[in-house]
Amino acid sequence: MDTVPEVLGRSAFVSLTATVIALAFGVPVGTWLALRRRKGRGALATVVNTGMAIPTVVVGLVVASLLWRSGPLGDLGLIYTLRGMIIAQVLIAAPLIAGITMAGLQALPPELPDQLRALGANRSQLVWRLWIEGRVPLLAAAMAGFGHAISEVGSATIVGGNIHGQTQVMTTSIVEQVGKGDFDEALVYAAILLALAFTINAVLTSVQQRAAAWAQS
Amino acid sequence: MIDELDLRAGERLAVLGYNGAGKTTLLRLLAGLDAPTSGRVAIDGEPIAGADLKLRRSVAYATQRPALLATSVMRNVELPLRWRGIDGRARRSAALEALERLNVGSLAERNALSLSGGEAQRVSLARALAIQPRLLLLDEPAAGLDADARRAFFDDLEHALRDRATTTVHVSHRAEEALRLADSIAALTDGAIRQLSDPASIVRQPADATVARLVGYENVLPVEIDAGGRVLIGGAPSGVITTTAPGSAVLAAWAAAIHLVAPGSAPLRATVERVSQGPGRWEIALAGNEKLRAHLPFERPPPRTGDHVAVRVDPPRAVVIPIPHRQEPRP
Repeated sequence: MDTVPEVLGRSAFVSLTATVIALAFGVPVGTWLALRRRKGRGALATVVNTGMAIPTVVVGLVVASLLWRSGPLGDLGLIYTLRGMIIAQVLIAAPLIAGITMAGLQALPPELPDQLRALGANRSQLVWRLWIEGRVPLLAAAMAGFGHAISEVGSATIVGGNIHGQTQVMTTSIVEQVGKGDFDEALVYAAILLALAFTINAVLTSVQQRAAAWAQS
Repeated sequence: MIDELDLRAGERLAVLGYNGAGKTTLLRLLAGLDAPTSGRVAIDGEPIAGADLKLRRSVAYATQRPALLATSVMRNVELPLRWRGIDGRARRSAALEALERLNVGSLAERNALSLSGGEAQRVSLARALAIQPRLLLLDEPAAGLDADARRAFFDDLEHALRDRATTTVHVSHRAEEALRLADSIAALTDGAIRQLSDPASIVRQPADATVARLVGYENVLPVEIDAGGRVLIGGAPSGVITTTAPGSAVLAAWAAAIHLVAPGSAPLRATVERVSQGPGRWEIALAGNEKLRAHLPFERPPPRTGDHVAVRVDPPRAVVIPIPHRQEPRP
């Protein structure tokens, strides 16, 4: 039987790992969309925005159908594993991160990218500088991505299987306890999960607000 | 129309045009931010669109809105130097020198986003000058500044460009700014250059009515030239005699060239439509065969709205612009 710290640690590990990977994909995609001026940008942006609205249980079902032993990626042995859950949470968090990144960078002064290019920035210097200027919305993207990942239960159940000692996380544990009628224990788990989410977001918010306050000073 | 623009090293060109004429498009082409759909834009013979970084970094473009970064003024000015691999001490020294040339050295440690409009424009310009570009592109650099701030800004810009061999292209819709800093002026409308001359020539002989309005003539009107060379406004002699061949033409006259005389003293008649106060003068709107604008010195008593007056145009302050197919003078 899992202890609370084990389940909590597993939740934090899965969601933080998924968030980092989702940032690695989502921020560059959002940046590319924000800077792209050619035709077709609107359609691609719509795809990203739609990705934000897909129910997490649907994402879990699609991932599970790929990872099931009878599925096309069954040989990888990822179904009912933490790695499989991370893959699902990456697919959940990445569109959200991309969408917020795109919106955040588009909110910068529209002449800024051209001004930086016109002062001699190469591509990587331009992107890096835009990320620094857009650090407040990028931190918001990270917080939103993490929040979305750690709070979801649909894909964690379908892909992870809620196996005690292996893939049970805080959200699946809460659902299990409610199903058994253990409301008191479920509430305790909920409070602990809330505290974890609050702690991580408090750190990110502090960084974000200090960045925003300096920009307005 | 002029379809070729060739700048010498160190030349200062002002591009004068109304909003939407294509001034910013021209600068973007020169900066290599956009590629031309036809023709060629080159620096020292090398096309700038798609050019390597070394050539692109010889050009500095200050956009119309300053686009400063959320960091200190000093870091804003140092950033393009850092990209070019200039080491810390040299970078700081070059940045500070550029800021001090524009009288904003004291703002070095301030947050760039807290600056006033005029301060931000100066810092943006210092950032462009600090890299010592071969080609400097300025897009309405004093946009959004009040009259005093504009004057001070151009004083500082002139000072900053002194002793530098930087080729400069400066775009504006304000004639007084274009005329002030330039060796040559290009009048741009609808994406085409209508005239390219030195400041004195473009004022003394604008190529057409549009250029005349661009350089600031308050009165630009269609006229007829009779067999005796008299310039007629609505059929009445204006007081101007020309050698341009008889027929249709355009008369460009400064408001100070429009003299109000007693009724009957001159054949051109008008009614005073409006009298208002301008800087050190009366500004008078006249209605008659054509609408005219006149300026009277403050010490002279102005006419009253509704007064009937006669009008004479002072020839030295007016210019007759031939219609293109009638440019030949009278024999």
